[in-house]
Amino acid sequence: MSIVIEARNLVKTYANKNVVDGIDLVINEGECFGILGPNGAGKTSTMRMMYCSSPVTSGELFVLGLNVKTNSRNIKMKIGVVPQEDGLDPDFSVLDNLLVYARYHNIPIKRARTQARELLRFMHLEEYDGRQVDTLSGGMRRRLTIARALLNDPQILFLDEPTTGLDPQARFWIWEAMADLKRRGKSLVLTTHYMEEAERICDRIILIDKGKILCEGRPADLINEYIGDEVVEFRLKQDEVDYYVKRIKEKFQYQIMNNRVRIFVKTAQEGRHALEQIESDNILVRKASLDDVFLRLAGYELRP
Amino acid sequence: MTALHIFFADLFSFPSWGRGVWAVWLRNFLYFRHTLLISVFWVMFEPLLYLIAIGYGVGYFVGQIDGVPYSKFFFPALMATSGMFVAFFEGSYGGYTKLARQKTYDTILLAPIDPAEIILGEILWAASKGFFSVVAVALVGAVQGMIDTILIIPALLVLAILCWVFSAFGILMASYARNYDWFVYAQSGFIIPMSLFSGTYFPLNHLPQVIQQAAYLLPLTHAVMASRALLQDNVGSLLFLNVGVLFALGFLFSNWATARMSRRIYY
Repeated sequence: MSIVIEARNLVKTYANKNVVDGIDLVINEGECFGILGPNGAGKTSTMRMMYCSSPVTSGELFVLGLNVKTNSRNIKMKIGVVPQEDGLDPDFSVLDNLLVYARYHNIPIKRARTQARELLRFMHLEEYDGRQVDTLSGGMRRRLTIARALLNDPQILFLDEPTTGLDPQARFWIWEAMADLKRRGKSLVLTTHYMEEAERICDRIILIDKGKILCEGRPADLINEYIGDEVVEFRLKQDEVDYYVKRIKEKFQYQIMNNRVRIFVKTAQEGRHALEQIESDNILVRKASLDDVFLRLAGYELRP
Repeated sequence: MTALHIFFADLFSFPSWGRGVWAVWLRNFLYFRHTLLISVFWVMFEPLLYLIAIGYGVGYFVGQIDGVPYSKFFFPALMATSGMFVAFFEGSYGGYTKLARQKTYDTILLAPIDPAEIILGEILWAASKGFFSVVAVALVGAVQGMIDTILIIPALLVLAILCWVFSAFGILMASYARNYDWFVYAQSGFIIPMSLFSGTYFPLNHLPQVIQQAAYLLPLTHAVMASRALLQDNVGSLLFLNVGVLFALGFLFSNWATARMSRRIYY
């Protein structure tokens, strides 16, 4: 398997603040790679450097074996980008948005037309080709943006929060399209703050916070490593917390936030042992998720 | 680097020109083509009103200036101010809208086109649109008998340079803008006064010496002087100064605007 993206000690500084603070990563061909984290963690900044819309402050970054500092033009010919703000051109219709963008890529008009038609079909937008883009729904706009990103038949597709703000149907549809693209051998890189989305579609993820990587790996492995199988979650009266924590802390790992306790149940352990120790009328046993990994590693405090 | 260093580096930044410039120009042209009929109407209608109101209306009382009928004295200035306004508006409002509101530049930057190419394409476009209006006014004037010399051709070329100066200046303003109010200041503080004091409606030599000298610092003055001299078949060595000043300003504004605007789209 060959490497499509490699970052070494990647740094991005805005106004003397490192929003990306020494990131190392490797993304393999054909992989769906997720960059996860809360708002302001540095996800978008990291990705913007990868797709050559933002200069690297320091460190090294190679995309498809090319250095982003010296070869951005050649990189941009081989990648497709679905940015967070879709940047569709309100001055043009759906079809013309694709044709004008194809011009930027220097795609001959005839080929651009065939390709645009084909992509509109793939994205289920063919009957809307004459509509002005500001009359489209959020899901349709996102699909059109994906079609636009595919015009130059890219090897890597970057998607910055592709499902944020979409309804469940539209979101499901985008996931299907991404799975389809993966089957066609494209490498996908996406950012999201929906952990559930990442668990579902990413082969490998990094969790970042404050510009640094907290952990890296396959979603299932990370859940296993940091949390386990299940989470027992319950609420107590403030003055009872210490008492119960004393009873479980020998056997289980746990996290406390105010009067809410979460106990992490490993594969070999049995969740009911934890349950037996606790008297609370507000108790919940559930499967461990990436959310738990994230909250465990990054803590609870609110982000700006 | 101090602010002064950055300023001089920007003025002489020499952005490099590539295929992308044309792609950006074409994007604007394709949009313009959608609205062509409305554009043509307004671009020709407004100068026609000016020509009637000022050229013939005011002209009736003024009679002649320097041996030419007032309407003929005024006409070259009308072409120049029209080009200036259109190029400046397209550069400033148009540029800022695409930068901040429509995110058009962010999208173009996703393709293999460099930031400088995007801005050069925008400057070229705004200048083209300004020049389009100059030609439209020239057509109106030709019908009204305002043009009786082949020197209209070099006059149009001079005005094309003027459009370039103001399209680059418009983009430069857009690069400083934080909101649309910005352009109101630039417009009422600079563009409109310039349209009054550049020898447009009356000859400069009747003004106090200080104002006359100040007027020579304004790009519009040089464009009006040059196109008036050409249309009146009265060309002297001053023409070289006029064209030289316009060229220098177009060049410096382009570099400056490109450097500044590039930093606002690639950051």
